[in-house]
Amino acid sequence: MAYVLAWLALLVLTAASFGAAHAPLGSLATAVALAIASIKAAIVLLVFMHLVEASAAVRAVILTAIVFILLLVLGILADVSTR
Amino acid sequence: VSTSEHGPPVAKHVAEHFQDLARQQHAVRLGMWIFLSSETLLFAGLFGLFAGYRTMYTADFLAASHHNSVAIGTANTAILITSSFSVAWALHSVRHGARRVAALSLGVTVALGAAFLGLKLIEYADHVRHGIRPGSYYAFAALPSHGAKLFFTLYYFLTGLHALHVIGGMTFLAVLIRPVVRRRYDEAHHVPLENGALYWHLVDLIWIFLWPLLYLVG
Repeated sequence: MAYVLAWLALLVLTAASFGAAHAPLGSLATAVALAIASIKAAIVLLVFMHLVEASAAVRAVILTAIVFILLLVLGILADVSTR
Repeated sequence: VSTSEHGPPVAKHVAEHFQDLARQQHAVRLGMWIFLSSETLLFAGLFGLFAGYRTMYTADFLAASHHNSVAIGTANTAILITSSFSVAWALHSVRHGARRVAALSLGVTVALGAAFLGLKLIEYADHVRHGIRPGSYYAFAALPSHGAKLFFTLYYFLTGLHALHVIGGMTFLAVLIRPVVRRRYDEAHHVPLENGALYWHLVDLIWIFLWPLLYLVG
């Protein structure tokens, strides 16, 4: 059952993120935490929210939102870190 | 199901400006995803501020995030993930005609939402007791830096906005329990339940990013 597998995967990834936060990763810690969060988000979107079986129009909408969020955050990061 | 004079049978759930149920559901789904996407952009503004201030006050943000209770934050992560599963199970059950299981799963989801809010309130109460309040009301002696103040102000805005969405989602799902019990939905028609579940998953999605940023790595 896909939902049960997705649930277990999300719990395992949560534990992995918790473990990684207590490992000596240094400056990589944030990148690792956000990478794990992105994998979890992908599981929720694809399995629980049925994006796998969604129409092209629906996929275009959510992909546009994701691109806009990345543009905003990366733009702010580029500004602040190069002052 | 009634039969129109000239065309194919028209389902009872179809509004008159749609030709058939499939087209109506396509429109509703697209509308819901546009709404959810605009919700993510609402949070994106706060995430952008967080990214900017975190870059400017990296050490302060890290110290402040370590003051948050990892135990409560992690418990709430497990609670929301489990509630995402239970609401997915409710939808799955309605699609397979198991309405009792569906109603029970919705009840479990609302209860998990309440548990999340309960833990959040315990956390807020503890913060306020320590003088951790938003903006100019900030008076936490252990972390007096400007960066820590910005972190906790953003913490209140991010978790507060998220908590409002938890309350909204719980209301949405609680209202759906009655029609599920009363057989208002069947295998083909359950769009309100689908949208309620989608909204709840969005609440889970946002928390998936809030947890590492506010509790683990600043």
